[in-house]
Amino acid sequence: MSNRFAKLLYAIGCAGILLLLSCAPKGAKVVGVAKFVSHPALDALEKGILDELSASKADYKVDLQNANADMNTAAQIAQHFKQEKVALAVGIATPMAQALANQIKDRPVIYSAVTDPVAADLVESMDKGGPNVTGTSDMTPVREQLDLLCSLKPSIKRIGNIYASGEANSVALAEIVREYCQEHGLEYVESTITNSSEARQALLSIAGRIDGLYLGNDNTVFSALSGIAEVGIDKKIPIVTADPSSAETIPVLAALGYDYYRMGLATGKIVVRILNGEKTSDIPAFLSKENEDMTFVLNLDTARKIGISVDQSIIDRAKVVISDDQLVRK
Amino acid sequence: MVEGILVEGLIYGILAFGVFVSFRILDFPDLTVEGSFPAGAAAGAVVASAFNLSSNAVLHGLAVPAGMLAGFVVGGIAGFATAAVYHKLRIPPLLAGIVTMTGFYSINLRILGGKPNYPLITNNPMLKLARSFLGGALPSEWSLFASCVLVCLVLFGLLDLFFHTEIGIAMGALGDNENAVIQAGIQPNRLRTWGIMLANALPGLSGAMAAAYQGFADVNLGQGVVASGLATVMLGELIIRSQFISVQLLRVLIGSILFRALMYAARSWGYVAGITPNDLRLLTALLIILSVALSRIKRKR
Repeated sequence: MSNRFAKLLYAIGCAGILLLLSCAPKGAKVVGVAKFVSHPALDALEKGILDELSASKADYKVDLQNANADMNTAAQIAQHFKQEKVALAVGIATPMAQALANQIKDRPVIYSAVTDPVAADLVESMDKGGPNVTGTSDMTPVREQLDLLCSLKPSIKRIGNIYASGEANSVALAEIVREYCQEHGLEYVESTITNSSEARQALLSIAGRIDGLYLGNDNTVFSALSGIAEVGIDKKIPIVTADPSSAETIPVLAALGYDYYRMGLATGKIVVRILNGEKTSDIPAFLSKENEDMTFVLNLDTARKIGISVDQSIIDRAKVVISDDQLVRK
Repeated sequence: MVEGILVEGLIYGILAFGVFVSFRILDFPDLTVEGSFPAGAAAGAVVASAFNLSSNAVLHGLAVPAGMLAGFVVGGIAGFATAAVYHKLRIPPLLAGIVTMTGFYSINLRILGGKPNYPLITNNPMLKLARSFLGGALPSEWSLFASCVLVCLVLFGLLDLFFHTEIGIAMGALGDNENAVIQAGIQPNRLRTWGIMLANALPGLSGAMAAAYQGFADVNLGQGVVASGLATVMLGELIIRSQFISVQLLRVLIGSILFRALMYAARSWGYVAGITPNDLRLLTALLIILSVALSRIKRKR
């Protein structure tokens, strides 16, 4: 093959790809759903959105995208949705939602699993949506979780917190934990990590200085939760987390938080309202305060191992109780 | 959409310029880019948005160039750190890059004010200017493209000019034959330091532009950028073979656009072949291998 011919072939190939890209199908009724990374909580959320959509808007096709935690593809996905002329785009997790909101100005963008949409610059206030942006916040009930930790161990004086310094949501939550400790005269001890392999060590390094450990919604920490729970039992530290689903299999003392599937349903409902013609500015950034949207998991086996006797009134509140290796849902 | 690919290709093409300088010109496999790219994004975002909010009209007007300059300079500092560690302590290039990249994670968090994510959605002077570039004579997407073309053309011109100067030519020789440079009476270490700084300042600038384009700067923005930069450079080399520096520089940009187009195609129509977005990184790796393999075969002919 002569060099010149090869070059010509490449040129034709390049032009062909560009041409192919430019004449993609247009005009179909499509909803774009993009998540930042595949992860049990976000997957459950996505399923909730899809279930709600297929129940109420079955005529819409859904284009599922996943940035695989690669921030540099987030804008590419936004471009893809634009090109596809989606009726509406859903961004799951903060960076994804930001990239969509930044690129897509002429059609609705719905965010989900964003802890603080105001700090993320998505909306101006929680009371109403932006000109083309609204959605659901997954701000976890930090104060309720800390109340729970304190009621499980009334003698608590020092609260520990481990989170990833690279996760915006966790940094925001840590600020609330610090405030809570100040208000209640508790000592606050934190340890930040940059990847999951450091989590176990982080707990060991502060274990002697804390009476209880709080873990917010932190993807990095939760990847290493089994190691943390093990250390917790070993050092007799009660652990309360914000993720009920992992608490069903990993022996932390208790978990209180949102059910991400239900949050997905709530997000799906907003999507349906917008598709029915409502304006984003009329829909406030949804923040569930309903008790039924929350799940409370309590592990009595862990309580016994670390020498905590749990009040019957607390056991009565739990929706899922693990005792003698049996999981009971109420 | 085509314009989207072109814009992305050009923005990340500037990053690839840096990868080209380190891997090809200096023969210095530099991983610092995974730190200097997000550092540029962080500095660019913070400086541009702060200038934009300033009540001083002069500062306000300088928001865009100041942001770009901040990204460029911070990237250069990261490169200097790597070069210093490499020269003074004789740490191998790969390790020197990893050290700087690791350290810059914390520095980037500092630049961003302790927060890992810095939103630019409502305060984004760079994107705003790029979209209304040429006074609205073009639709906003094409205006964005035109402004990226302008930046890339200027950079291309400057780099081309630089690599035709005496120092530039010496830098080009450094990667191939260090002794020749020494015999020409030039200190190779100093020259390499400048080269590594340039190879990270360009990704820094690219980071500042990418942050504006994405709508946020984030400490995790650097993940995987060296691999995509390398894939870009190699794709370019596969398509166009040339000994001329001008062509070599130009093909970096062309390779970048092609790489983005391929990734876009895989994302959009990959499902036909069962490719999910989860496979894109494997695709990047295979693309690098394929480019190397094909160019080996071509060379043997």
